[in-house]
Amino acid sequence: MSELFQYDNEREAVSAAKVRALEALLIKKGVIGSDSVDAVLQHFEDVAGPFNGARIVARAWVDPAYKERLIADTPKAIAELDVAQGMDGAEGEHMAAVANGPGVHNLVICTLCSCYPWPVLGLPPYWYKDPVFRARGVREPRAVLREFGVPVAAATEVKVWDSSAQIRWFVVPERPAGTDGMSEAELAALVTPEAMMGVALVAAPAAPAH
Amino acid sequence: MKLQHALGGLENLGPVNLEPKVFVQDWEKRIFGIHTVMMAESAHLSKALPRYPIDTLPTAFKENWTWASLRTGAEGMQPFEYFKYRYYEKWLMGISQFFVDKGYITADELASETARFRQAPEAALPDQPNTAIKDQIVDYLLRGDSGLRPLPHTPRFALGQAVTVADPPAADHTRLPGYLRHKQGTVAEVYAGAFEYFVSTGPDGLEGPMPVYRIAFDASDIWGASFSEPNTVIYADLFEVYLQPHAS
Repeated sequence: MSELFQYDNEREAVSAAKVRALEALLIKKGVIGSDSVDAVLQHFEDVAGPFNGARIVARAWVDPAYKERLIADTPKAIAELDVAQGMDGAEGEHMAAVANGPGVHNLVICTLCSCYPWPVLGLPPYWYKDPVFRARGVREPRAVLREFGVPVAAATEVKVWDSSAQIRWFVVPERPAGTDGMSEAELAALVTPEAMMGVALVAAPAAPAH
Repeated sequence: MKLQHALGGLENLGPVNLEPKVFVQDWEKRIFGIHTVMMAESAHLSKALPRYPIDTLPTAFKENWTWASLRTGAEGMQPFEYFKYRYYEKWLMGISQFFVDKGYITADELASETARFRQAPEAALPDQPNTAIKDQIVDYLLRGDSGLRPLPHTPRFALGQAVTVADPPAADHTRLPGYLRHKQGTVAEVYAGAFEYFVSTGPDGLEGPMPVYRIAFDASDIWGASFSEPNTVIYADLFEVYLQPHAS
């Protein structure tokens, strides 16, 4: 955790008490039920999360025709897969995938706030919401990517996608070398939310020791 | 101008924060959950697509609550405070104040309940489950709230056309990133259909369904050739009202 979060304990304890007080009052007044907040959080455990995006990416890696369909019509291609229902649900009503490849690197950002494709990626990580990423990602994306450990060659075009209207973007990262014999499920396990926003490359697993 | 409208391009902020956690404190989950329940109970959903049976939902909540509500609050913050407080801290401040302002709770109640949970952090919440609300939450999350509507008019701009971004007054809420104002770009896609934003943004210009375009900007056209990184394109999806024909 970065030093930004080294607040004194009081600050977090007060917020924790205040949010519990708010939830208690809203339940008491009939605004929400005592099982309402848990129902939301459960959805992001079971239904919407980066595990969906990882499966979509893995399929695109093993099936080039699927990858083409995914880029051309993302919702239709996602509907082909046996993923949970609700992939066009809240914050995924209109999603579009873009592909990294030789000579092109994509970076997704929301400079105004935190637009993020919930059904396939779940909720945005802190870095995505942090004002520094949002300010610098459009001004100096290559410098930002270097800080994330992703050097991008000068000859490679960087495409920055600022989500501000209706479309929620995600990235199909490049398949790492040395993964030829891997199953789709094994490949999916390599794909991180960061890779699907463009701030990480997917790494092949370390070779097993002999 | 408002800082919150124009974060993109702000300099001297130092290194990016690489924190991958969604919630950096456990309590943040609860305010995210409360906000999402409010979205699922929002009165406007009775007229949304799909049409949800909000009118008959057994809840005391009778307000419109969308991302526009949350953002209007965040955009109205004093800018130093906007930076000072973490993402979900701002949500907690804005949402608590909303319930006080609308008369659902009083500031005194909130203060005394907060003091109680400060003394007894593990004290139980009231046990009043509500299956109908729970079902609506799940239904809303699965089916969403699409802004896609029939086109009200032929799109004014065509694929490949040069456009200049407008500079509407800084209203209470906008979907126009500030760093794009006055900049020249090219229409890279005319989206099929029209999109309606949750609310009218008044003088900012969003009102009813309108075409949306993907505009491509060369980074050097935004920041200047000597101040931008090479070989960089920025794409932004912009509502039609934010665009003007480029005067060549």
